[in-house]
Amino acid sequence: MTDTTIESKKSTESAVLANLPWDPNAPLLEVTDLQVEFHTRDGVAKAVNGVSFDLKAGETLGILGESGCGKSVTAQAIMGILDMPPAKIAGGSIKLRGVDLLQLDEKTRRAVRANKIAIIFQDALSALNPVFTVGWQLGELYRKHTGATRAQAKAKALELMKLVKIPAAEERVNAFPHQFSGGMRQRVMIAMALALEPDIIIADEPTTALDVTVQAQVMQLLAELQREQDMGLILITHDMGVVADVVDKITVMYAGDAVERADVHQIYERPAHPYTKALLESIPRVDMKGQQLAAIKGLPPPLTNLPDGCSFAPRCTFAKDRCLTDDPPLYDVPGNRQSACHYWEEVFNS
Amino acid sequence: MSAPSTEQVPDTAPADDAILSVRDVKKHFPLQQGIVFKRTIGHVKAVDGVSFDLRRGETLGIVGESGCGKSTLGRLLMGLERATSGSIKIEGQETTDLDPAGLRRMRRNIQVVLQDPYSSLDPRMTVGDIVEEPYEVHPDVVPKKQRRQAVKDLLDVVGLNPDHINRYPHQFSGGQRQRIGIARALALRPDIIVCDEPVSALDVSVQAQVINLFEKLQDEFGLSYVFIAHDLSVVRHISDRVGVMYLGKMVEIGNEQEIYETPTHPYTQALLSAVPVPDPSLRGHREQIVLEGDVPSPANPPSGCRFRTRCWKAQDICAAEEPLLQIRTASDHPSACHFAETKDVIHATD
Repeated sequence: MTDTTIESKKSTESAVLANLPWDPNAPLLEVTDLQVEFHTRDGVAKAVNGVSFDLKAGETLGILGESGCGKSVTAQAIMGILDMPPAKIAGGSIKLRGVDLLQLDEKTRRAVRANKIAIIFQDALSALNPVFTVGWQLGELYRKHTGATRAQAKAKALELMKLVKIPAAEERVNAFPHQFSGGMRQRVMIAMALALEPDIIIADEPTTALDVTVQAQVMQLLAELQREQDMGLILITHDMGVVADVVDKITVMYAGDAVERADVHQIYERPAHPYTKALLESIPRVDMKGQQLAAIKGLPPPLTNLPDGCSFAPRCTFAKDRCLTDDPPLYDVPGNRQSACHYWEEVFNS
Repeated sequence: MSAPSTEQVPDTAPADDAILSVRDVKKHFPLQQGIVFKRTIGHVKAVDGVSFDLRRGETLGIVGESGCGKSTLGRLLMGLERATSGSIKIEGQETTDLDPAGLRRMRRNIQVVLQDPYSSLDPRMTVGDIVEEPYEVHPDVVPKKQRRQAVKDLLDVVGLNPDHINRYPHQFSGGQRQRIGIARALALRPDIIVCDEPVSALDVSVQAQVINLFEKLQDEFGLSYVFIAHDLSVVRHISDRVGVMYLGKMVEIGNEQEIYETPTHPYTQALLSAVPVPDPSLRGHREQIVLEGDVPSPANPPSGCRFRTRCWKAQDICAAEEPLLQIRTASDHPSACHFAETKDVIHATD
């Protein structure tokens, strides 16, 4: 690649971004009624079924749910990295500062990625390429998006590795991913996400594969960097402990639906949806020796064959006849929160 | 259980009610170099001198981070690995020097439930065949004609539908597969079950079901569990006593209350403080000890105390002299730290 093409690439990407009608007064991220379907041999799986949330700069949103609830698919839809087909975005909008990302062409989407929104995956070993050095991979992203030279990219890689506190960064920059421990690899992923100073970072189960002491290191680093750079952070996890430690507000997902949205303190103190309540009662806590755990009976429904009424009704202790036929909307609950349960008042007051 | 623990010193006699007694057991894996002429260039000291007793009917939790040797310890107990040195006695009988026939007899008494319910069941066998297989190795337990019924009874005991006896593992969910694994472990009516991360592959709502099942079976059959896990909340919930491992050594052992409420070893304290508690009101009110760096290589552990390279209390003596796992002045349970002192790390500090 000659210097002129590098220059043109750099200018095109920033020009593309500059030409978009950003509205600085709009919310940083606003997801409205997002619907994602997967067309499979067994029929249409409704992975995300009308999910809405918003995120302000400097805020941390937790998306909480079990495997198969659609939380990672939501993240991939925001990033624009779903495999389509089989996936299909069936409806809704994802607005970044007022610009609907779903309406953009792929080239523009590519410019938004990494520059505006970046993602950190759970499994850092498979997210990194085993045959290139860590420094090269960090620099590659920087070169591709900004058109920097190799020397500049290498310097940037080193700077990023220092930012995420990788010890002996000068030597480690030429090491391969397998020479790093799990926690250090996850730091590399964070460095990569931060390379272009995005406005939003999506962390999809960032610490699930790590030991608790390393998890504490990584979460502390992530929270620190977010504060310093005033980014929005979306933390996707199934761990109710991690969520309680870092996020400001929570969206709880179940079988593709957002079943409850609330501030983090409210939701732990007084859940307004039976699923949230049951989840909180089913986890053992390290700071007390509990009685028998209140397990949730049964299993989540298959996404290809969701029940007519509330998806949680077959497992719910509050369910009545109406729940089996009538899909609950998101009801407003006092305290600027919402719950998708016909009988939220009963849950709330129980 | 307030009886003083005496098991830490390698040459002490087992407690009277000990069903399993482990003394100074070691497992060193040779590190080899060369293709044709292999020479041993060192040893990975996966388990390096661990002693404990398991009493009849109790659950002993073994916690530690990945690579600390807890799974190797489980394999040693099962006779799946031969100990380099040391003694493992089951009901008074030495098991480390048994021949294959002896091992087979021994395993009637000690069975295992493994972590991954997807890879621990043969996909080409029906559930009935999987649960019945132990009877083929030990034909005298149940007469041939009654085996089918015995398997159905076992499925019923673990909460599966006995009519599903002819189904294959892929037709079951993760939690149900784990129940199949438990039914197989129960088939020979063992006294001891070694559980190696039995719930860590399961979703939270299903995890509670399986934990409750373990507790129910213990009451029903008077089982003793060695419960190996990295999740400290789960271990606290299920265990009567807990041992904490670091780099092949047991660093602290005691009853559940002692380990969680009054830990004395710095590693235990750091580990406990790193566990996120699902209660946002405690945010910022709990002391969090974030350890620096990673676990050193078990092929080349630090001299003296193995934790000293990450420990904030480390002094010269820690490098020179290995601290024994013994009762220290600070508390009634054994701790392998020269500077053991109790510290409450799981509750709010102010």
